[in-house]
Amino acid sequence: MRTRWLCGFLFGVLAVAVAWAAIGEAAQFNWQQFKGTQLRVMLNKHPWQIAIEPHLKEFEALTGMKLVVEVYPEDQFRAKTSVELQSGSGSIDVFMTMPAQEGLKYLRAGWYQPVDEYLKDASITSPDYNWNDFMEVGRSAMTVDGRVIGPPIQLETNQLMYRKDVFQKYNVKVPTTLDELEAAAKALNGKAMTDEGQNGYGFVARGKRAAATSIFSGYLYAMGSAWLTASREPAFNSDEGVKAFDLYGRLLRLYGPPGSENNHWYEASSIMGQGKAAMYTEFDSISAFVEDPEKSKVKGKIGYVMFPKGPGGKPGTMATVWGLGIPKSSKSPKAAWLFLQWATNKEQVLAITAERAVQGGRTSVWNDPKAKVKMNPELAEALIQGLKVGNSNWNPAVVAVPEVRDAVGAAIVTSIQGGDVKAAVNKAAADTKRIMAETEKK
Amino acid sequence: MTEHLTFESRRSHTEERGFSGFIERHPVLVFTSPAAIVVFILMIFPVFYTVYMSVHSWFASSLTRPEFIGIKNFQRAFFEDERFRNALWLTLYFTALATALQVVLGVALALLLNRPFRGKGFFRSIFLLPMVATPVAIALVWMMMYNPTLGVMNYIVGLVKLGPFKWVSDANLVIPALAIVDTWEWTPLITLITLAGLATLPLEPYESALIDGATPAQMFWRITLPLLRPTIMVALLFRSIDCLKTFDIIYVMTAGGPGFASETLNVYTFQVGLFYFHIGYACSLLVILFTLVLAVSLLLIKVRRGSW
Repeated sequence: MRTRWLCGFLFGVLAVAVAWAAIGEAAQFNWQQFKGTQLRVMLNKHPWQIAIEPHLKEFEALTGMKLVVEVYPEDQFRAKTSVELQSGSGSIDVFMTMPAQEGLKYLRAGWYQPVDEYLKDASITSPDYNWNDFMEVGRSAMTVDGRVIGPPIQLETNQLMYRKDVFQKYNVKVPTTLDELEAAAKALNGKAMTDEGQNGYGFVARGKRAAATSIFSGYLYAMGSAWLTASREPAFNSDEGVKAFDLYGRLLRLYGPPGSENNHWYEASSIMGQGKAAMYTEFDSISAFVEDPEKSKVKGKIGYVMFPKGPGGKPGTMATVWGLGIPKSSKSPKAAWLFLQWATNKEQVLAITAERAVQGGRTSVWNDPKAKVKMNPELAEALIQGLKVGNSNWNPAVVAVPEVRDAVGAAIVTSIQGGDVKAAVNKAAADTKRIMAETEKK
Repeated sequence: MTEHLTFESRRSHTEERGFSGFIERHPVLVFTSPAAIVVFILMIFPVFYTVYMSVHSWFASSLTRPEFIGIKNFQRAFFEDERFRNALWLTLYFTALATALQVVLGVALALLLNRPFRGKGFFRSIFLLPMVATPVAIALVWMMMYNPTLGVMNYIVGLVKLGPFKWVSDANLVIPALAIVDTWEWTPLITLITLAGLATLPLEPYESALIDGATPAQMFWRITLPLLRPTIMVALLFRSIDCLKTFDIIYVMTAGGPGFASETLNVYTFQVGLFYFHIGYACSLLVILFTLVLAVSLLLIKVRRGSW
C-alpha cells in the first residue's frame, strides 16, 4: 500500500516536472509571435504533401497562423510557381522546391529567401530544431552557392530493383557492380519470367531524352566521371564518361525492351510491373508503382539493393532531395520560416515517416524503430546505406538544367540507338559549354 | 419648339450633351470599339509583341531586362542552330507526307461516299468520328497501338509478313508513324469538304461526256477532278496550315523524340520558350513559323486561282 502511494507520488512529481520543462521550453520559444498571419503554401502533388496535409491543422493551432494550401501536379506546379516568382509580385510564402533541378536558376534570379541567417537567429528558430540532425546529403542538396535554401522534406536514392524469383530460378547472383549488372542482364534477357511463362527482358530503365539523364547520372558517377569539373567545365566527355554512356545505351539496346528511346519512368515501371523485365534502375519512390497492389503482377517479388558500384568500388548512388523554400517576394518570410521548422521538426518527420513511409532525412528519426513500420525493409536498408555515400548531383549543377538535360539526353539516345557514342558525347559537352556560357554570364 | 428642330439645331443640341452626344455622332466607332479592343489586345498586340521580342535576347529572370540584339536570333537559327534546321526540315517533311496522304485518301473516300448505297448516312457519320475525338486521347490510344512489344500495329503488319517495327521509337519511322495518326484523325475533314464540293458539281458535262462515249476513268480525270480542284485546294490549304502547326499528337506521343527525330518547329519552340526560358529566341522561332505558314498559304491560294 505504501509503495503504491510512493509510486503515485513520484509519478506526480515527474509529471509536474515534465510539464514544467515543457512550459519552460515553450516560454523560451514563442510559436505565437506571428499570430494572425496568413501563409500561402504551394505544394507539388507528392507523397510528402499527402502525408503532411492531415497535420496542417496542428500548425494553425500551435501558431495561430492561417494556411492557404494549393496543390498542383508536378508540371503545372513548376510552371505556376516559376511564373509567379518571375512576376516578383507573387503572394507565395512557402513552396516545395528541388534545388538540383531549379536551385541555381532560382537563386541567381533572386527568387529564394535563403535561411542561413534565420537558422542562427534564436528569436525565430526553436532551440530544439537541430539542423545538424538532417543527414549530410540532405543538407548539402539544400545548399546552393553556399546558401541554405530551406530544410529537406524527402530524400530518395536510385536503387537496383530486381525480380527475386527470377534471380533465384535462374541462379544468378544479385549484381553489386556494373560489370555484374551487365552479366546478369545478358544472362536473364529472353528468359521466361511472367506468370504466364512469357519471356522478358534482362533490363529496363528510362531512355527518353531528358528524362533518362537522371537515371544515367548513377552510371556516370559509378564509372568515375562527373557532370562538371571543379572549375565548372563539362566533365562527362572523359573516357570514363563515354564508357558510362556506352554501357547505358548497350544495356537498353541489347537487353532492354525495343523502343526504350521513348520510355519515361511511366513506361519503364509498367514493363517492370507487368513482370516483363528482370532488373530496373530507378529512384526508390517508383516502388509504389512497380508494386501497386491493384495493377502490379510482381508485388512482393521485387528486391531492392544499392545502386551497383563501378570500377574501383566507386558508388553510383544519387540522392534526390525535395525541400521547402521561401520566395524573396514573400511578405512574411519569418512567419514562413516558422512553418518550415514546424513541418520538418523531429515529431513531424517521425509522424509522417511512420504513417506514410516518407523518408524525411533526419538521423534521429532513422534511428527510431517506430519510423520504419511501413517501409519495405530491403528498400529502407538500401536507402539508408545509399544516403551515406550518395551525392545529390543527379543533374548538372547549371542554371539552364532543362536545356542541358536535353543536350545530354540526345547523347544517351544516340547510344541506345547504337550510333557514334564518342562523337555524340563530345557534341553534348560542347552544347553544355555553350548553354552555360549563354545563361550564366554575369 | 422641340417638335420643329431643324437639323442644325438638333446637331448643336447633341453636341452639348457630352458623351451621349459623342455616341450619337460616331455610332460606328463606338459600337465596334469593344470588339476592336478585344481583337487588338488578344490578337494584334501579341503578334506585334512577339515580333518585338524576336529581336531581343531574354533569358527569363526577374534580374535581367530583355536586351536588343537585332537579327542575331535569326542568324543563329539559320546558321548555327542544328536543332532548328532539323526542326524546319521535319516540319516540312511531316506536312508534305500527312497532307498528301490525307488528300488522296480523303478525296477517294468522298467519291466512295458520294455514290448511292444503303446505310450511306450511317457510314458518313462514322467516318467523321475521328475528327471529333480529343487529340490527346487519340495520341494515347495510338501510343498503345504502336507499342513495339504489346501493340496491335506490329500484329497487323505481321499479317502481311512485315515488321516488327519500333514505330515512334525508331528515328526513321517516327515521322511517317505520326503522319499516319494525323491522317487517321483529319482525312474526314478533306472528305467532308470534298463531299460538299461534289454536291455542287453540274450534271451537264457528265451527260455530254456520256454521249461522247467517255469511260468512267476519263470522266474522273477530265471532269470531276478539274471541277473539284478549287474545293480540294481549300481542303489542302486548311490541312497544310494545321500540319505545319501540329503540336498535340507529337508532344503527347514522343515529345520530339527519340532524340530530336520528331521535333518539329512548334515542339522545338515550345521547349525553347517554356522549358529553357529563352523567350526572345522562342519569339524569333515563332516569327519564322508564322512566315512559313503564311508563305505556304499564299502559295496555295495562288495555285488555287491559277491553273494546275
